[in-house]
Amino acid sequence: MRFSFVLFFAGPLFAQPGEQLEIFEKKVRPILANNCYACHGQKVQMAGLDFSSTEGLAKVVSPGDPGESKLYKAVVYADKIKMPPAGRLPDRDIADLKAWIESGAASPKNTTAVVVSANPMTARLAEGKKYWAFQPVQSYAPPKVKNEHWVTSPIDRFILAKLEEKAIRPPAAAAKLTLLRRATFDLTGLPPGLKEIEEFLADGSKDAFAKVVDRLLASPQYGERWGRHWLDVARFADSTGMDEDHVFPNAWRYRDYVVKAFNEDLPFDRFLTEQIAGDLLPPDSPGGINQRGVVATGFLALGPRPLAQQDRVQAIYDVVDEEIDTTTKTFMGLTVACARCHDHKFDPILTKDYYSLAGIFASTVIYRNLGKPGAVSFLYDAPLDTAAFARYQASRWRMYGKQLEMEEALGEDWVREYALLRPKMAKILVEAWKAEHTHVEAQDAQVAKWVKWLRAADDKARQGYLEQWFGATEATIEEVAREYQARYIKAAVQFDQSLESWRRRYASDVLQERDLSPRPTASDPFFAAATFKGGPMELADSPRVALARQEWEAMKESLPPEPPMASGVLDGVSIDQRVFLRGNHFNLGEPAPKQFPTVLAGESQHPVSRGSGRLELAKWLVSSNHPLTARVFVNRMWQWHFGEGLVRTPNNWGKMGEKPTNPELLDFLAKTFVDSGWSIKAMHRTIMLSSVYQMSSHASPEARDADPPNFLWSRFNRMRMSVEQIRDGILALSGNLDLTVGGSLLPTDPQVKGRRQQLDLDDLKRRTMYIPVRRGNIPVLLTTFDYGDATTASEGRSRTNVAPQALFMINSRFVVERSKEFAKRLLDDAALSDTQRIERAYLLALTRRPEPDEVDSALTYIGNLEKQLGKSDAHRTAWQSLCQVLIATNEFLYLN
Amino acid sequence: MPVNNTTLHRPRLLPRRTLLRQSAAGVGILGLRALMAAESAPANLLAPKAPHFAPKAKRIIFLLMGGGPSSIDTFDPKPRLERDNGKPVPFRRGLTFGETSVGGLMKPLWPYKRYGRSGLPVSDLFPSVGSCADDLCVIRSMVGDGVDHGAAMLQLHTGVFQFKRPSMGSWTLYGLGSENQDLPGFITIKPSGHGGQNKWSSSFLPGDYQGTPIGNGNMKVEEIEKEPMPYLISKGLVSEPQRYELDMLQKMNRRNAELNNHDPELEARINAFELAFRMQIKAPAAFEVEKESNETKKLYGLDNEVTRDFGWQCLLARRLSERGVRFVQCSHSYWDQHSQIAKIHPELALQVDKPIAGLLKDLKARGLFEDTLVIWTGEFGRTPWAQNSDGRDHNPYGYTMWMAGAGVKPGFVYGATDEFGYHAVENRMHIHDMHATVLHLMGLDHEKLTYRYAGRDFRLTDVAGTVATGIIA
Repeated sequence: MRFSFVLFFAGPLFAQPGEQLEIFEKKVRPILANNCYACHGQKVQMAGLDFSSTEGLAKVVSPGDPGESKLYKAVVYADKIKMPPAGRLPDRDIADLKAWIESGAASPKNTTAVVVSANPMTARLAEGKKYWAFQPVQSYAPPKVKNEHWVTSPIDRFILAKLEEKAIRPPAAAAKLTLLRRATFDLTGLPPGLKEIEEFLADGSKDAFAKVVDRLLASPQYGERWGRHWLDVARFADSTGMDEDHVFPNAWRYRDYVVKAFNEDLPFDRFLTEQIAGDLLPPDSPGGINQRGVVATGFLALGPRPLAQQDRVQAIYDVVDEEIDTTTKTFMGLTVACARCHDHKFDPILTKDYYSLAGIFASTVIYRNLGKPGAVSFLYDAPLDTAAFARYQASRWRMYGKQLEMEEALGEDWVREYALLRPKMAKILVEAWKAEHTHVEAQDAQVAKWVKWLRAADDKARQGYLEQWFGATEATIEEVAREYQARYIKAAVQFDQSLESWRRRYASDVLQERDLSPRPTASDPFFAAATFKGGPMELADSPRVALARQEWEAMKESLPPEPPMASGVLDGVSIDQRVFLRGNHFNLGEPAPKQFPTVLAGESQHPVSRGSGRLELAKWLVSSNHPLTARVFVNRMWQWHFGEGLVRTPNNWGKMGEKPTNPELLDFLAKTFVDSGWSIKAMHRTIMLSSVYQMSSHASPEARDADPPNFLWSRFNRMRMSVEQIRDGILALSGNLDLTVGGSLLPTDPQVKGRRQQLDLDDLKRRTMYIPVRRGNIPVLLTTFDYGDATTASEGRSRTNVAPQALFMINSRFVVERSKEFAKRLLDDAALSDTQRIERAYLLALTRRPEPDEVDSALTYIGNLEKQLGKSDAHRTAWQSLCQVLIATNEFLYLN
Repeated sequence: MPVNNTTLHRPRLLPRRTLLRQSAAGVGILGLRALMAAESAPANLLAPKAPHFAPKAKRIIFLLMGGGPSSIDTFDPKPRLERDNGKPVPFRRGLTFGETSVGGLMKPLWPYKRYGRSGLPVSDLFPSVGSCADDLCVIRSMVGDGVDHGAAMLQLHTGVFQFKRPSMGSWTLYGLGSENQDLPGFITIKPSGHGGQNKWSSSFLPGDYQGTPIGNGNMKVEEIEKEPMPYLISKGLVSEPQRYELDMLQKMNRRNAELNNHDPELEARINAFELAFRMQIKAPAAFEVEKESNETKKLYGLDNEVTRDFGWQCLLARRLSERGVRFVQCSHSYWDQHSQIAKIHPELALQVDKPIAGLLKDLKARGLFEDTLVIWTGEFGRTPWAQNSDGRDHNPYGYTMWMAGAGVKPGFVYGATDEFGYHAVENRMHIHDMHATVLHLMGLDHEKLTYRYAGRDFRLTDVAGTVATGIIA
């Protein structure tokens, strides 16, 4: 309906069919929007011109006659008026404008009206409502199958039914130790130890594997491994990336929150709500905050953030866009951010839907303050102990206040004292010169001070700023002294002024909580040397200054440390958002009330009337009839267990995404998940205790033939491990893995500018997930093994195979050192024979015993290498080499 | 769905689904099988690929002057500024980085000389580059959208200033592959500063197209020479014993592959180890700048402390280029003189002037100039007005970049800024247009070089970009 008025409008100049209007929409409006509206639009009408209306355009366009059109004459730079002033438009644009005027200059009544679309969105909305992913989750009964023996869980029926349709036999179950290795790396990211191997081998009971799963789910390392999956989706990193790449000093709290949420099996609906609106949940105690909730909103806060973007509105809406993109991909598998500039090209998502969500995020605080021109902006940090934070702020302000009081007093003293002292300098210098050259000690105290200082001057000063003084003769000294005085006064006045403006800036920096500007230093070396650090012009503190200084120092000493802070968000001013036509914030369209995408939430919604609307957004996402939230998350779980999702485009469930390979199973899992109270651990058990999870990675010949991409789950996917599994696994073999859970590895001294130092990753023994990741400088090891860029919600890691990965395995200090430690572990156990050592190495690294020929081969290798090396430590080196070989094998790198 | 040549050069693992979607649309089931079979022998993503049309340039050397050198003071003389020096700014200033301490107009601080037969004017900051003026194609009408370093750097390298996107080096590698399988195809020497890794990131393109950094801006040349690429130098066994170690590893890997039906992925990794071993033997030679003749070293200024660092970068760039590395970037900084431009610009110019001229001359002498494109630019230029009395602010609205070598008109000036050197007014070349033009010179159609990601086709030039045919020889 909203589109029709455009087509019905008819005026004397612009009676045009829709097709011509489309030329305006496609070619002309973008030119006007990008180049003209900022000065000749709804907001500003320079020269009284408003190109956003027909009337306005009529003033500068003669339909059919470019030569008579002021607009055209201005853009070709033919006359005095040259537009746009920023430079001539590209020829292509000028040609488009010309063609449009020649064809009659058709434009809709209001040129900022809604885009006329060849494929009206209303029709697509209606069609979209029938789209499979937007249907409620169905309740499917697990299908009947022929091979009942294979079934251990309802999941198996959904899978087996499809395999039987294609006459594909499922593969045999994986060998016991293969399964143990698979499950242990899967749930904890680490290899099973000797004890776990023995226990599982010895346990012949039916529920032996169920016990393993329970044990793994209960280990603290489970939350690290599965939290890491989530951090990929949440595009987690420790810095802002983009322009300035400043460190987020508190990002780790969100990481710890995620690890804990998985370990405690926080229900997913709660997990989601906390991450979008945790700050709005009931406080832990009256008048306080919901501490966990505030930390959880790091999900929104920790994205890539522009800090130096000088168009501040652009900066804010780029952040809003990033939040919309991450939130909608993560929880709904929809690419809503595609609708920023135009209605979504493929999915029934309106630009208005986008700006309805934009209103929610634009009403949420991200920047603590936007920097002044030429400076960077600051992001909001949420205090976790509000009372302590208030006290801390109060003591800081008192301290800065005292500092300013001291500075002010100092400034007054300067004015008073130097008013007398500075004009006398030339005279004193002449006296000093005379005293020096007549060897008569100066009587005047001031002169004596100068003489003493000048005598003590070092060579650098003598050849530098004191050269004229030392080179002066009786004939020239008066002139030289005058010059020194003039120079001194000029520098002093400049310095006084810069101090004065610094004091003002400092006060406003303090008030606005910006980084404090450093106190200016004097640039003239003569002035600086004469005035400070024992120079003859140095002023002693007056009693007033001395007292203020003493109090300030004491306050500095007793300033409490910064109380705990988190990267989080809070509700700001509730904004009445309007559509930005073509994504351009100079170009306002219709109002977009805070509500949810029309195709899912319907045409008649009650827009959010108070606050940002984040809590309402979260509630809507976890409502029991939301068709996407549960499906999207169980699909991720399936993907993380099996390497691919049931929907293989986990962040895009729209038209350009993949359809589910087993839609009934998807819905069964989604329903089971919600029915279990959104329990992630229950879902792990459901999945892992199935035959599907426990089958071998060896495809049957007919499966390889009929199902090469494994859409039917005809075998377990063989997967190269992630960089975390590889590095942590190697550390585990070395026996030196530090299993401390949580905390930050960033340097803690807040004074370290930018906090950008790198850790020595070769020596670090903590798990890989704790390595600080700066978006602008991701450690080479991580990027080598497809860590991703922590910039957008991850679809899952790539598993590339490039030569630098092989170089890491054969050459890196990390692998060499860890394999040395691995070898030492084997050699230090004096009770073992060499054969037993090799068996143990295989068990630890590959979770299996070696075949006899493998033992022989390894022993031969060690013997030969030892001979070849022939050095005193050849024996150890040979064992180290064998250990390194085991670590570098495909068998270690892949999970079967 | 349109299947174009480029998207068929697909990565092994990720776009299997893309492939299938394409297949389902047009190839049919037989074709599907064939494609699957092709996939079972994993393609080398870096194998050389045919361009869209005959290229003018085979490789690029990109000289980045970080911080933004002043065009007005180097390659774009402005008599009007000479005349009106010190007068108030007579036009409306656009969005700038620092609104503070804005002064009057400031004339070019160095005199210009006309060089060569072309008579191309170059300021006294660049006398050696001036001596190569007849080889330069000076583009005086560059335009970008970022007024701060981060945004401008991102756009210069990726086309986009808000988001992370593949770098132009990655796109060329994706389009053309690499001519040397023992070296990375995209190398960035001593990268530093704003934009960080985003300047050489392959983003959503496969990791094979990622740029390889050689050291970083803070490292000394000696330090870099010890291990120019990550993990290139073994910290364990070396030479014969390491080969023996690798043989043991490969024996175990082959046994494992046999037990797993010769899974192509496992086979590919066996090959990757052989490639890595070859690389560590062959790649170091490319970095042995020391082995160049004294004459050559002198040409690049390696004999002088001031010019040594950038000279080494330029000479290494030539060595890598002649070995077939597709895209080499050298980085110099930091030209961001908001104040003290008169003091610092000459110091910086001195560090690069001779090395750049040396590079151009050396490329010519070795016959590499005909198919190598050299690009010199900052992320933006600087304002015609003074800031902080003796500096200039950022200016992305009209600045100078020059190219030289393959495919561009020599001794040629393209485009112009207004009489103050503030806005580009003639033949404006937006960064998108520059990218389109550079890809064109490499034989790639910027509208066809697409990659499907997150449900749509992406380009280096986004939805813009026009090839500047006016600069093409």
